[in-house]
Amino acid sequence: MYNFSVRYHDGRLSIAHDATLTLMPDHWLIHYLDPSGELTSVRWALSGIVTDENFSNLYIFRYGEFPQQTIEAKDENLPPMLKKQYPEKIFFKRRVTDIFKLNNATIAGVALAVLMLLGLGYWFGLPWLAGAVAARIPVSAETKMGETMYDNMILAYDVDHQLTARVNDFAKAIDFKTEYPVRVTVVKEKDANAFALPGGNIVVFDGIIRKMKAKEELAALLAHEVSHVHYRHSLRNIFRSLGGYLFLSLLLNDINGVATVLADNSNMLANLTYSRELETEADRKGMDVLKSNGISLEGFVDLFKLLKSEYGDAGSLKLLSTHPLTEERLREAEMRAKGQDGIAENIGLQEAWAEIGLLQKK
Amino acid sequence: MEQHETRQVTFHGEGAKLFGIYIVNILLTLVTLGLYYPWARAALLRYMYEESEFEGSRFTFHGTGKEMFIGFIKAIGVFLGLYCILFAAAATRSTTITLIGVAVFYIGFLLLIPIAIHGALRYRTSRSSWRGIHFGYRGDRKEFLNMFIVGSLITLCTLGIYGAWFVIEIRKYIFKHLRFGNITFSYEGEGAAFFWLNVKGYFLSLITLGIYSFWWVKDLFGYYVNNIRMYQGETRLTFRSTATAGGYFKLIVINMLIIVLSLGLATPWAIVRAMHFVFSNIHIDGPLDVNAIAQTEADYTDATGEDLADIIDIGIV
Repeated sequence: MYNFSVRYHDGRLSIAHDATLTLMPDHWLIHYLDPSGELTSVRWALSGIVTDENFSNLYIFRYGEFPQQTIEAKDENLPPMLKKQYPEKIFFKRRVTDIFKLNNATIAGVALAVLMLLGLGYWFGLPWLAGAVAARIPVSAETKMGETMYDNMILAYDVDHQLTARVNDFAKAIDFKTEYPVRVTVVKEKDANAFALPGGNIVVFDGIIRKMKAKEELAALLAHEVSHVHYRHSLRNIFRSLGGYLFLSLLLNDINGVATVLADNSNMLANLTYSRELETEADRKGMDVLKSNGISLEGFVDLFKLLKSEYGDAGSLKLLSTHPLTEERLREAEMRAKGQDGIAENIGLQEAWAEIGLLQKK
Repeated sequence: MEQHETRQVTFHGEGAKLFGIYIVNILLTLVTLGLYYPWARAALLRYMYEESEFEGSRFTFHGTGKEMFIGFIKAIGVFLGLYCILFAAAATRSTTITLIGVAVFYIGFLLLIPIAIHGALRYRTSRSSWRGIHFGYRGDRKEFLNMFIVGSLITLCTLGIYGAWFVIEIRKYIFKHLRFGNITFSYEGEGAAFFWLNVKGYFLSLITLGIYSFWWVKDLFGYYVNNIRMYQGETRLTFRSTATAGGYFKLIVINMLIIVLSLGLATPWAIVRAMHFVFSNIHIDGPLDVNAIAQTEADYTDATGEDLADIIDIGIV
């Protein structure tokens, strides 16, 4: 016979009875003195007893239909005794949440490990996943998406049709080593800028073309943008920022506004870092394309010098810029241009460039 | 002597334990792509209730992840339905139909708020107990919905001014229908007093560049708590707030620092501090017979309202 002192609530009144629990072979017996001093006993059949899920060392059992009777026990010896007395009935299920009952040091350790895992997942897992997902999108879907984006975007610009035709001729003289159809659109904008859309559309501002002095510069610009297309950088970027956003909103769902704002901003910074990595990759692959076409890499050097003179080189902005520092890109291009051999004159390119030049003199 | 009788709910939660619960919840929610969320919420509520003590006994939250999951799925279904109407209307490319779709979407969304509050109150109170005695909410959904629609329309027409009276009216309705066994409640606030309290708080906060806002929140908390009455048979008990502007200043500023400096990681500690502050500043005055509260409420297990309220982000209790 095993006795434990417990608190008993009968489910009808809020009075707390100090009671004695006795573990019988197939039922529990609860004895207490009711307020009038009379000894009262209650019988709980084993099959109807339910254990409350809890996080502390207070053991709560309930019995019967609503409103349920309740006993609360604090005795540490109760769980092992229950296991011994009733080996066939499980009172305390093992749950993931059991770790809450461990001491604070263990919880902190587990928490730290989880945080590290989350961090690793965010910094390395997400970009990898974005690349993997982007790689699985069929080219047809990507092209269609790119076309829709292009159709919507181009409405905001004034297209220079003649220059567009010439620059496309120019582009045809270069082998970009990609299965994507490269289509260039030149628009009338003063800024020195250009961007690539998924699927092969490249938009170039005429401002940057006017400032170019050699055909190699245009070749370098196109090679850089085509690399974005070929390596699906837009898609990867979209999935990266979408993934980051989902990840953080799942993570911070429960937590407050301040933390969410902080996280949103750091997510934006992380996205920028990622897009800088993509720019660097586009530079590198673009240079490979020029090299295999026998075009001088000085094109890249001059292009970066042009960008530098346009935008200056505010070093302090590095953290916030989507593009790598122009100075860094310039140095990289100069280094690779030095070791280059096998430069060959490309007649088609020369002629197309002359046409572009003629058009601009008008 | 009876006049001095006062009681308090005490909170025993620890930041470290709450942090552990959050971490496990976050991890499982991520791994299950959000499906674990109802269980996560149930675990959190269970913990918070279990650490709240009154007269030597802890509160219990009886809700289960399974109940809340069913509610969660229903709530998501309702939202998906609304969004489907919106997108279907937009897809017709007809301006009239799109406008109707948008109107249906927003009206539906607004109607969801009172339905969610009602459902959440029914569920949450029914699943809360102390010494085996359950809380309950006996409000009528239709009545509440009518009150809510009329109140919202008047508030809209008066450019928000009626809002103060509206809030008080809602509080009165909710407390009137709140039960804790055979204990009943009422709320004694008045719209006009609440309105001027807010006008004063708003303008003084503007003039003092926000410094007065600590007095404002103190007043709002005080107005909420001090007007709650609790009845046990013929006995009337009053609630009393002891929160001060200085106390609020300390709570808010330190909690902000805790959250910002830890980049949000120490949020559970901030929550525990806030819970301590709230409970330690509410006193229940009067002679309460804590052994004589009788069970009166029936069982209720539909968690749809609770989950709806959670998705719309309405915080109750």
